Amino acid sequence: MYATINGRDYEFQANETILEVARRQGIHIPTLCELNDIDHAPGTCRVCLVEVLRPGQAAPEYLTACDTPMGEGWSVQTRTRIVQEMRQLQMEMIMADHHQDCSTCPRNGNCELLPVANSVGLKQIRFRYTEGWKDLQPDTGTQPIVYDRSRCIRCQRCVAVCRNVQGIDALEMNGWGPTAGVRLKGGNVDISPCVTCGQCVMVCPTGALAERDQTQDVLDYLGDPEIVTVFQMAPAIRVGFGEEFGLPAGTNVEGQIIAALRSIGADVILDTNFGADVVIMEEGTELLGKLAEKQRPVFTSCCPAWINFAEKHYPAVLPLLSSTRSPQAVVGKIAKTYLAEKRGFDPEKMRVISIMPCTAKKEEAARPALRHNGYSDVDVVLTMREFARLLRREGIDLKNMEPSSYDDPLMSEYSGAGAIFGTTGGVMEAAVRTMYYVLNGRELEHIEVTQLRGFDNVRSATVDLGREYGEIRVAMCHGLKGTRRLVEAVLAGKANFDFIEIMACPGGCVDGGGTLRSKKAYIPHAMRRRETIFNIDRKAKVRQSHNNKQVQKLYADFLGAPHSEKAHHLLHTHYEPRPCGVDADIRAEWDELRGQDGKVT
Amino acid sequence: MARYVYGVWDGVAFDRRRGEGSGTVPALSGLDEIAPGSATKAFISDRGFLVLDESLCLVEAFAQYLTQAASESCGRCSPCRVGTQRLRDLLRAVSAGMAGPGALEEVRTLAWQVTQTSLCGMGQNCARALHAALTHFTGEFAAMTPAQAVFQHSFTYTTAPCIEACPSKIDVPRYIDGVKSGKFDFALGVVLDKYSMAATCGRVCVRFCEDACRRNAAEGAVGIRMLKRYAADQALLHGRLNLTPSAEKLAKRVAVVGAGPAGITCAYKLLLGGIAVDVFDAQQSAGGMASIGIPSYRLPKDVVKAESEDLIRQLGGQFHYGKVLGRDFSVDDLLAHGYDAVFLGYGASRGSQLGIRNEELLPEGYLSGVDFLLKVHKQVEHSEPFPLQGEVVVVGGGNVAMDCVRSARRMGATTVHLVYRRTVADMPAERDEVHAAEQEGVVFHCLTNPSELVIEDDRLVGVKLVQMRQTEKDAKGRRNVEPIPDSETYLPCDWLIAAIGQVVDDSVLSLEEGIELDRWNCIKVDPDTLQTSRRGVFAGGDCVLGPLTLVNALDHGERAAASIRAWLLDGAVRVSPERRMQNFLARNKLLANECLEPPPLKKPPARVPELPPDERIRSFAEVDGTIAKDVAYEEASRCLRCYRLYSVVTEKPLQHRAAAKSTTATTTIAG
Repeated sequence: MYATINGRDYEFQANETILEVARRQGIHIPTLCELNDIDHAPGTCRVCLVEVLRPGQAAPEYLTACDTPMGEGWSVQTRTRIVQEMRQLQMEMIMADHHQDCSTCPRNGNCELLPVANSVGLKQIRFRYTEGWKDLQPDTGTQPIVYDRSRCIRCQRCVAVCRNVQGIDALEMNGWGPTAGVRLKGGNVDISPCVTCGQCVMVCPTGALAERDQTQDVLDYLGDPEIVTVFQMAPAIRVGFGEEFGLPAGTNVEGQIIAALRSIGADVILDTNFGADVVIMEEGTELLGKLAEKQRPVFTSCCPAWINFAEKHYPAVLPLLSSTRSPQAVVGKIAKTYLAEKRGFDPEKMRVISIMPCTAKKEEAARPALRHNGYSDVDVVLTMREFARLLRREGIDLKNMEPSSYDDPLMSEYSGAGAIFGTTGGVMEAAVRTMYYVLNGRELEHIEVTQLRGFDNVRSATVDLGREYGEIRVAMCHGLKGTRRLVEAVLAGKANFDFIEIMACPGGCVDGGGTLRSKKAYIPHAMRRRETIFNIDRKAKVRQSHNNKQVQKLYADFLGAPHSEKAHHLLHTHYEPRPCGVDADIRAEWDELRGQDGKVT
Repeated sequence: MARYVYGVWDGVAFDRRRGEGSGTVPALSGLDEIAPGSATKAFISDRGFLVLDESLCLVEAFAQYLTQAASESCGRCSPCRVGTQRLRDLLRAVSAGMAGPGALEEVRTLAWQVTQTSLCGMGQNCARALHAALTHFTGEFAAMTPAQAVFQHSFTYTTAPCIEACPSKIDVPRYIDGVKSGKFDFALGVVLDKYSMAATCGRVCVRFCEDACRRNAAEGAVGIRMLKRYAADQALLHGRLNLTPSAEKLAKRVAVVGAGPAGITCAYKLLLGGIAVDVFDAQQSAGGMASIGIPSYRLPKDVVKAESEDLIRQLGGQFHYGKVLGRDFSVDDLLAHGYDAVFLGYGASRGSQLGIRNEELLPEGYLSGVDFLLKVHKQVEHSEPFPLQGEVVVVGGGNVAMDCVRSARRMGATTVHLVYRRTVADMPAERDEVHAAEQEGVVFHCLTNPSELVIEDDRLVGVKLVQMRQTEKDAKGRRNVEPIPDSETYLPCDWLIAAIGQVVDDSVLSLEEGIELDRWNCIKVDPDTLQTSRRGVFAGGDCVLGPLTLVNALDHGERAAASIRAWLLDGAVRVSPERRMQNFLARNKLLANECLEPPPLKKPPARVPELPPDERIRSFAEVDGTIAKDVAYEEASRCLRCYRLYSVVTEKPLQHRAAAKSTTATTTIAG
């Protein structure tokens, strides 16, 4: 089938949209709500207008390219005067009920809306409609993700990623007319299916969805001379942060981050990778014990959105989860005990601040099971976006920082195994390296366990652990849609695995819900970040958690052995079922149907 | 017929004041009847506008029309969400004489943009007439005078082809919005606002809505029924339905005779309005034909029970089972016992006779379709033995005949024969039902008619059949048939079930009750208010319509409840302006035969999961399953939301009952 665009003939297939045909030819049509990477074209912004003259028609029509199938013999124009003016009017209407207060926006100058306004040549906004949001009260809750309807353009990308990519379906379209927007099903995070993975934030084109900003808390701590600030950065931070400051995607900026933290007055700088090594010591030991008792499978427990998912959606699987705390929670706890003891800090004056690629880690830090005597082991969790904000508030340009290195003698060294926690399969590989050594008394020969390194959302492999264990069957999953399938198979007795690694975010932590946002793309830098993580491992002095000298010292001086009573007390936790959902309140639905002004008769 | 002064219809302008284009004036009948006793000044729709009174302020009429559109916009797409608000405000300013220069040009541009670029029918349709008016009659867009303001009131009704096709006028796009938005309980709420039997209707409705769906012009209708079922099942099957009794209690009692779909719906709506209800039924359970007449492989009994008996009890209604009107009590008795009003919904439950030789002997082995289904029901539900075996012949081609053949397969018949005098294509049964019967191994004998029952020792042993042939077409385009001479054959059988229709039982109402019947013993009612000839007595469902559909009965139940409520509270019933508008739209077929151009992106229609045929015939387990959630979302996304607004401008404001989707607007001029 053939059609012309801007006078040139192009071939197309039946049911292909005008936008698909144009994109294939590199012809620009401005789009806003559409997100091709997650196959989302809701047709709500109506910006992608083109002029179409269909055979046999006297006058052209103005159709949206994203949701109109190309027709045989159609003549499409993308840049007539009329179509450009119509796109401008469309954009004018979108801006008319948008907040337009860019200076206070979490996306401050970095949204997708302004470039599209630019792209269509918007010249004027003659009218404003603020009724839909002007009386909204500020969100003063505690959930890690906040929604601001005044900045929402109703693209529904968040709904789509939650439904179709993660399979969680925690969001609903709510309200009508000027008040249309999204909200958590049931209205709050506890009764909604939400697991706070933050993928909704990653696809939001504006500042409508953002993390709850805790930058100010950190600045307050930094400014308080009584407080000992203890920073930790997750494995994924160093490989996904450089873009914010103009460095190529995947650049390792560990040294620059250390320098930046020191420059803003951090008292102690630790590495979550160290905590990852400790996790391997604990979780590996736990797994070997369960394997010996034929209790299988064991699920990893370092991903907080996965923990939320299990607690809310599959409580039956909770007994299969490793009781080992996450690396973040391990670092928090050891800092406020071991580090405090060794370096003479008063734990009550210490504030552990985590820099995480994750929104769910904010919630994890607040879990009652990870608090002690009224204090959290981790006091503040900053997503990478907040961390960037923190550095800007301190006038720091990361790319101009001279790379530095850790100086804490107790909790900053890490192995290559700890480093690869940030990518899918990494926890598994790190565990295998150590379990093999524990069982065989020698290191695994091929240290890069390639059968664990694919990128499919659900993967399985076998690993020969030697000795009486022989081959074990393992599975790795990133993204919750696949996780649901896997968990259901396990619960139905249809999956035969010993050890299962789950990372809730597609791509793993390097593409977590707290990483930097991309425009018009979904996890575009996944492979580059992952490659850098693998390179960190390759270049590491030690590549197994058990060979980490500071970890060895921790056990020798403080914990005793992995799974000792002390280790168990400090480094393990438990999970509770948290069922979600509510009854159908039909009278409330009728109130909405009537705009709350009528009566049922 | 109303006399139009000027206007634009389907893009063609006319102006009788100047004698222009008068040949193109549309022949719409009954416009005046929307507002009896109040002069109609204009009519505005998606297809154009007609002005009947020269003194009308056109800009105010459109300001009111767009005010309604702005309040109805779902807010998803920007041209409709923002554009309608802007149009409303500009038109109001013009009407108030406070618009700046260039306002009308901006209105014209915006009206065109909203029409051309909106995502769904609401936006695409709501500014079209306005654009036409500004193109052809810019001069009429003058500020409203105080004299005009006093006599200019709009009544605007929002609807869509699927809504108007539905007897119950249920807001289909709205509940599909609920599914699309992930608000399944809201979707269910839209249905429950009309009737309680949502999961029932979501399983067995004949789907007039899907026939009217504009997607039919593309790759097939939206699976409206499966979406309704999906929403209902989410609450019903998981025990999540929470509907508390009405807080409002009126000192009124109504007797509902018949616990079928009409009676249950009437009781449900009355109870929600705070009126006490007692329901009387000849059977021992609620549901009427939905329970007895529809086999459980299509409609499980617990679904019917949950949405009828359980829900009515939950709302405070009482049931009196085993009570037969005409045998155990009369309408007089009910009124004498202090009921303030009576609703009759006793159905049409007597099987029609074939009118063939030996039928009057009523041999063992001969049953009507409804009696057969009742026996099946009693065996399945109450384990009352019904030893059906051997060769079974069912006569008929409607849904009841299909229910009989498919039930007989499940009851253990050796062979099930379906005898029908016309062709398969002529069968009035739903296509899915015919197809399922074929799949389940029913032997079809078409163009065949029974002529005589063959009896030995008072027991049926066979049936004589004659072959039929097609003749000329009748008024409906269906070919008539006639017997072929000397074509008689003999088919031995153990059972013969006559499933050719039902009639109303003539023993129910005696003449002394003072309720007028027609010659088929159906109760005569006012078609709009469902009042019978006796004061305080209302009727609906099959006892009024003859054997019709579930959704017709649901509609009657709902409308009767509204009439009863008005009668009890105000002492008079009235026809709502919505109903008058619906009648007007239907009479003029304003929502029929629409095209869909350019065609939308093709999205294959969803299929309902079903049990394989060999598994089905082994039990009465439900054949159709609920669709999966992702399928529901995909299917809901196929809805084009073909909303449009119809508005009449009248001299006096129209009375109307509080309804979700229509308003009357009255504007006072600024200053």
